[in-house]
Amino acid sequence: MQKAKPIELDVAVVDGVELKGSWNRMFEPRAISEYDLSILDEITAIPGAESLGYCYQCGKCTGVCPVDTVGDYSPRKIFRRTQLGISLMDSPDLWLCTTCRNCLRVCPKEVNMIDIMPAVRERAVLEGNAPEELLQAFENTARYGNPIGEPGRKRAEWTKSAGVSVPIMSQKKSPVDVLWFVECYPSYHPRGKQASTALARVFDSLHVDFGILGNEEKCSGDSQRMAGEHGLFEMLAEHNIKMLSKYSFNQIVVTDPHAYNAFLHEYPKYGGEYVVQHYTQYLSQRLPDMSFTHDIPYRVTFHDPCYLGRHNGEYDAPRQLLKALPGVDLVEMGHCRETSYCCGGGGGGMWLDSFTRDYASERLSERRVKEAVEYGADILAVSCPYEVPRFEDAVKSTGNAGKLAVMDITELLAYAMGLVDSLVMAN
Amino acid sequence: MANADTILIVGAGPAGLEAARTVAELGKKAILVEAKADLGGTPYASYATLTPDLKETEASMKHMLDAVQQNPAVDVRVNTRIVKSEGALGAFRVSLSQESKETVEEVGAIVVATGFQHFDPGRETQMYGYYEYDDVITLVDAEKMFKEGKVVRPSTQEPPEKVAFIQCVGSRDRQIGNKYCSKVCCGIASKQSIEIKRMLPNSKVFIFYIDMRMYGFWEDQIYWKAQEEYKVNYIRGIVTEIIKKGDKLLVKGEDTTMGRPMEVLMDLVILSVGMEPSKGTIEMSRIFQIPREEHGFLQVVGGPLDTVSTPVAGIFVAGAAAGPKDIEDSVSMGAAAAAKAVGVLNRSALHV
Repeated sequence: MQKAKPIELDVAVVDGVELKGSWNRMFEPRAISEYDLSILDEITAIPGAESLGYCYQCGKCTGVCPVDTVGDYSPRKIFRRTQLGISLMDSPDLWLCTTCRNCLRVCPKEVNMIDIMPAVRERAVLEGNAPEELLQAFENTARYGNPIGEPGRKRAEWTKSAGVSVPIMSQKKSPVDVLWFVECYPSYHPRGKQASTALARVFDSLHVDFGILGNEEKCSGDSQRMAGEHGLFEMLAEHNIKMLSKYSFNQIVVTDPHAYNAFLHEYPKYGGEYVVQHYTQYLSQRLPDMSFTHDIPYRVTFHDPCYLGRHNGEYDAPRQLLKALPGVDLVEMGHCRETSYCCGGGGGGMWLDSFTRDYASERLSERRVKEAVEYGADILAVSCPYEVPRFEDAVKSTGNAGKLAVMDITELLAYAMGLVDSLVMAN
Repeated sequence: MANADTILIVGAGPAGLEAARTVAELGKKAILVEAKADLGGTPYASYATLTPDLKETEASMKHMLDAVQQNPAVDVRVNTRIVKSEGALGAFRVSLSQESKETVEEVGAIVVATGFQHFDPGRETQMYGYYEYDDVITLVDAEKMFKEGKVVRPSTQEPPEKVAFIQCVGSRDRQIGNKYCSKVCCGIASKQSIEIKRMLPNSKVFIFYIDMRMYGFWEDQIYWKAQEEYKVNYIRGIVTEIIKKGDKLLVKGEDTTMGRPMEVLMDLVILSVGMEPSKGTIEMSRIFQIPREEHGFLQVVGGPLDTVSTPVAGIFVAGAAAGPKDIEDSVSMGAAAAAKAVGVLNRSALHV
């Protein structure tokens, strides 16, 4: 337990030189000598950011803000710093929020960081005032259609080794029931591709009449939007809507909760109105058609993705799937459902890990992994493509390699249905 | 038993006016005594607008004044003081002095509604320099300016750029001897901050507070409105002292949510002065032998369940004479005290 200390007592080591805490006073005057309200006025004048000025300092957000557990940050503090005249545009605070929505869940004044963050960040991005690595992710997305920087023409390459037929709409030339919007990490990331392969095999075994856009698909853009690149988001939305308009399908199934959020709330603004489900929602309805042949004799816990749970209220579908798996002992972590921690990947966090490191004692994914270990889980099950790589890194960095495996729900399903040969366990 | 049909009401603020109107409506006679020349009490004398609805006081209260002035059952006596009281329930003999003419009235019951006075910020401590610095004023001084449709720095007669309200002046302070919260000052400061922003949209208005006490509907009607619509800045942490710096005021305290000392320059400081029993209230305690409770206000016997009955049979209290009250409380107590006074007379008439 670390107790709060006055800064005068903090001893810091800067470039190997030990500085006594009393120096801190020389760098930062203790007394507040002015409330320069011009910054607060400027920020709250941005459409979408008005509610920052509503904060009455109750501190409920600080109690649930995942970022404040690893750094000195919360919406309440952002308001106060802005009211003191500290420029949010130039502050690292602007980029630490993962838009996990936990603050808005508890805020009595409805200070809405989910609107504030993209609005203020957009202004900063337009001024060229964003962390370099984030700008790189934006540029990759603009150039290649994905933030990773992989060639757009290789987006469907994973399908070749999927082991089952994954129809691509432009080649199929006939209507399908389900248009599967695969998204970037499931198309390119090695672990994402494994989950995509698993999902393709589950679809195949359920005789789902489905197709993907293949190279015609680009990133849904929702996290870029939350990170402040609204123009890029619009471009991506218009592109995807145009591609989708070429084909006939009954519904969209998405792999990524961020894409789910975009299709549900943002694409309709650009004329893209679809019946859309997250894959856990679609598959939980198909449970009666699944037959399981392999036991998974492990203790499994589930991490609720922010954009499936808190943002869009779906907590049950993933749990229905996990509970159906033979042998699985499902345990809930203390932070679950609406109180779930954040993996740190949302709102641009996926592309800000180097930047964030300077302002956080540890990664949010590391906190989450520690909690999963604390609850004795063998497998941390996830349902968002950001999470497998984030949590697998965190398993290693927290010294839990060999203790905890991270798996997408589709991987568990595919194994239990006998569609993949083995379960890659941690030990 | 003519006297048993008459109820004496002392004080013609919101509580006394409502008590007199209610007595008349219940079919008894009222003598409404007011020491000042005008009816309406402290709100009428000192406040340009009422909290929480920000409506003009004179227009809002006119119907209450009309109700007593135009009612033949209410005998209104202004410029009149109570000098002596004898007798008991059903047969009080009260001496009144009007412009040095003394009369004795026989009344069956009495409602005391002599209200409060604002805390004098020069008393006991001089930390805010109310009598030293022209630009340190009270809520009441601010209302006087609002009545003239302006808000200026008294020292220059120029509009202020930065205005600070300091809450809890004279309230919640063991050293001063007032341990209670005055209940309305958070609301009045918020109301005034809205009015200042309406008059001077470019001014910066700060409210320094210990706890914002905006109970009930005042929360969103004034507090949230001031913060969200008028961008009033609420800073948690009270001001300790004010020091003159050039032609400005250096306001010193702690910004407690930042955990740092604060020394900021202001053009105008408004002290949110609390309530104390008025001189009239203390005088009525003596004349009618009504005990005062531990904070100095007139005592009631029923705790939270009877807000108007004093320990003296036949004597009731309404409004801020019994402790800090807002206008809603005062008016409700006025009607309740009148009803109980009429009730006690009806019961004693049956027993005769």
